[in-house]
Amino acid sequence: MLRYVLRRILYAVPILVGVALLTFVLFYASASPQSLARRNLSTRNPTQEQIQQWLKDHGYDKPLSVQFKNHVTGLLVFRFGKSDATGEPIWNRIKQGAGPSGLVASLVFLTGLTAAISFAVAVAYFRGTYVDYFGTFLCVLLMSIVFIVYVIGLQYLLGKILKYGPIAGFQTGIAAWKFVLLPVVIGVLAGLGSETRLFRTFLLDEINQDYVRTARAKGVGERAVLLRHVLKNALIPIITSTVAAIPALILGSLVLENFFGIPGLGSYLIDAINSQDFAVVRAMVYLGSILYIVGLILTDIAYALVDPRVRLE
Amino acid sequence: MRNVSFIATLAVFALTLAGCNNNPYPAGESTSNVLYRTLSDDPKSLDPSVTYTVDEAQVTDLIYPSYFQYHYLKRDPFVLQLNLGAKEPVREPYVFTDKHGKTVKGERYTFTIKQGLRFQDDPVFPGGKGRAITANDFIYSFKRIADPGVHSPVASFFEDKVVGWKEYAAEFEKKGKAHYDASLPGVQADPRDPYTFRVLLNQPYPQLRFLMAMHFTTPIPREAVEKYGEQFALQHPVGSGPYLMSEYRPKQRIVLIANPNRHPEFYPTEGQPGDREAGLLRDAGKQLPLAQKVVFNINKEAVTSWNLFQQGYLDAAGVGNTNYQQVIAKAGMLTEEMKRKGVQLKRDVQANIYYIAFNMKDPVVGGYTPEKRKLRQAISLAIDSQAFIDLFSQGIGRQAESIIPPGVFGYEPEYKNPYRRYDPDLTRAKQLLAEAGYPNGADKKTGQRLILNFDNSATTPAGRQLVGLVTKQIERLGVKVESRSTRSNVFQDKVNKGQFQFIRYGWFADYPDPENFVFLLYGPNKRPGPNASGYDNPEYNKLFVKMRALEDGPERLAVLRQMRAIAVEDVPWVYINHDEDLSLHYDWLLNVKSHPIANDTTKYRAVDVEKRAQMQRAWNRPNYLPLIAIAGLLVVGAIPAVSVVRQRQNRRVRRADAPEAAAAADSNNNGKASH
Repeated sequence: MLRYVLRRILYAVPILVGVALLTFVLFYASASPQSLARRNLSTRNPTQEQIQQWLKDHGYDKPLSVQFKNHVTGLLVFRFGKSDATGEPIWNRIKQGAGPSGLVASLVFLTGLTAAISFAVAVAYFRGTYVDYFGTFLCVLLMSIVFIVYVIGLQYLLGKILKYGPIAGFQTGIAAWKFVLLPVVIGVLAGLGSETRLFRTFLLDEINQDYVRTARAKGVGERAVLLRHVLKNALIPIITSTVAAIPALILGSLVLENFFGIPGLGSYLIDAINSQDFAVVRAMVYLGSILYIVGLILTDIAYALVDPRVRLE
Repeated sequence: MRNVSFIATLAVFALTLAGCNNNPYPAGESTSNVLYRTLSDDPKSLDPSVTYTVDEAQVTDLIYPSYFQYHYLKRDPFVLQLNLGAKEPVREPYVFTDKHGKTVKGERYTFTIKQGLRFQDDPVFPGGKGRAITANDFIYSFKRIADPGVHSPVASFFEDKVVGWKEYAAEFEKKGKAHYDASLPGVQADPRDPYTFRVLLNQPYPQLRFLMAMHFTTPIPREAVEKYGEQFALQHPVGSGPYLMSEYRPKQRIVLIANPNRHPEFYPTEGQPGDREAGLLRDAGKQLPLAQKVVFNINKEAVTSWNLFQQGYLDAAGVGNTNYQQVIAKAGMLTEEMKRKGVQLKRDVQANIYYIAFNMKDPVVGGYTPEKRKLRQAISLAIDSQAFIDLFSQGIGRQAESIIPPGVFGYEPEYKNPYRRYDPDLTRAKQLLAEAGYPNGADKKTGQRLILNFDNSATTPAGRQLVGLVTKQIERLGVKVESRSTRSNVFQDKVNKGQFQFIRYGWFADYPDPENFVFLLYGPNKRPGPNASGYDNPEYNKLFVKMRALEDGPERLAVLRQMRAIAVEDVPWVYINHDEDLSLHYDWLLNVKSHPIANDTTKYRAVDVEKRAQMQRAWNRPNYLPLIAIAGLLVVGAIPAVSVVRQRQNRRVRRADAPEAAAAADSNNNGKASH
């Protein structure tokens, strides 16, 4: 397995170089360094000298080939440099924001997954009864609401009207729980409908298999059949579908973070794109690709863990 | 058993909620003498030589004071009073011979600062104690403005006026940071007095006083800039103001606390008529700042700030699209709900102007012949400012009659611009258009419809609405308007190169002197300078130079009236509107009077801590009833299901084959349904 993981990591290198190349080309296709300078200078009407000086300060006056070389080598060794817009070291901001972002995203991910699997199991257990029908109806209802409506509506309902937690803010340490409570509840609720429905399908696909019949024939109870046999086998498609949701998870917390004032990384990339802060854009896109690759590797490992037939070689 | 664990989960959840309150601040903070404000985003910079936005100045100006400041209460006119300065600067004529042998009649200002001023305590100073401030710290900030590497936005105010500025600035290229040791010829220390410095100018420039009230001319400790480098701009400001920054958490909060080294400063003892009655002199004579701590919450979403304000966790809030319906009833009054909560509404005209600028070099709309003037006059008459105000500012704002906004010397409320009298029938406008050679919008000679190009960077829905409004209004004259929308930097480029017919623009005052507005039409300021329309009328220019050197008074007013009359006839601009700002605050926030120019007003604000705490408690009791009700419903609803399944299982024990088939049939159906 170790060899497999190492090989996957090596495969990632050309992908990351490709990502770096693509960001570089797209950036130069969409904006000129001149306009970048104009956007980032605080003067209303910057003079040509000021623009030249800015380009020089930020290294955009060098030939394209040199810029590209610096761009790729900088990224590969994680030397991200300073933001074009604020001059702040990019690593500083990433270090500050990764904690809160990671906290919210991982809580939403884990709680959401647990809740969705539990509900799917419950609905499958009660299949054919009104609980199943009502559950399906509820899921479709939850799926039909747009994410932003969850955020604004539930922030208003749970935060403003019922006052279950602070509307915005953040504190580090133990005190953080009260600030992430509402965002996590909202994030989980927003994803619950579609996930439950999907997982329920996976479970019901398994329920008809021969081994289930065999288990029942041996006299295994319905609860044990579901938890011990069906759920275990349904995990493979569940894992596949959750990994596909990782990018959505990162984008989703952007909205949550903005509305709940969580000092994370969610809006860092979007802000940078809006203010044409190329230094930040390339760093964040690069980190995003790394996260995605790591996610895929972890999925493969998870496959091997839940399914003895899968071998990583 | 399943529902037992379900109930247990709910119980744990309810208990967690019960143990929690929704106060977003660290325990005990909101019951202390602290002001809660909000910023819509992280500042890009708090470097006093660089920052130029109002949001950033709200923070910067509390950390970095200047020679002058604006009197908090006095208006019409605004009054400058000494802050770090010890006395009014001495203005003397300064005559010298320049390098071309020409005699230049300039001016010399002698500034004397207070003694005993100190920077805030910081590890950069010996022993961590704030160092004494001398004239050199002021001179250093002038040098920073000159340094092209600093990118100061106000360099252009000085470079053509301060003696030797351009040459000094050019040498930074070669010498780098060491050039700060060289002396800037136009800003000199007094060798005998460390508290005096002189500014030498090649022309009379009374507006220098206003620049000495901006944060750009604050004293800056060179050692801090050199030690902290780029950190100086955001994470590590070192100033001498009423507050110092004690905490900055990006995307979260900026905390300022009273600076123990601040110089003694007191709340004004006199104001305008009505200020006493409004309770604005309650704290007269008390030492500033009144609040020991200021917290700026960084909330990117307006909805979030608005919800926090409603819970009493912010002392003040703006009025915008998010909350307008909830706040303002008809006739611009507060709604009953807001009044009940003790919310106060403030309405202030801003020192700014929005306008349409014609390109005076354009062969169609530009030029100074009577026909060309009539064409622009006709267009000016077709534009209905009120429609702009209604559509984009919910009907709140003031129609502009000339270039000078209310509150600035030279503004006359009774003045009416003859070419801004909108009449829905457009009788006079159409007549002028015919006289200009375009009867009913078509060229008299060729019979072709006149086509005008409207350049803009409207990419947002609101921007496109604005383009639609301008187009619709002008097209009522029978001409055709074509919108040319580009990205903002392309648009800016077109404006700088003069490749447009007309554009819509805005200007916000740097200081409340008419010069800061009428200079937008001064010929030598043409593109890429601030005079976007490239208007260049020799008579206007002559009057401008005369006006610039005059003190406020009847003579200056007379010159300003002459300038206004010229510009109004030439119509380089269509004056549209001046903004009017609405803002809200709770009655526990005291001494609230807004100032359209000054950004350090927070130091005068006080808070009734007890009242705020009481209201916060009263408004924020959580309501668990719905949660309990939902939990109850779920439990009750689940009981029959449990019995159904139990029956099913029991049946299985009795007859082994039948339920199997039933279950299989069930799942088949369900399987199909879910695909």
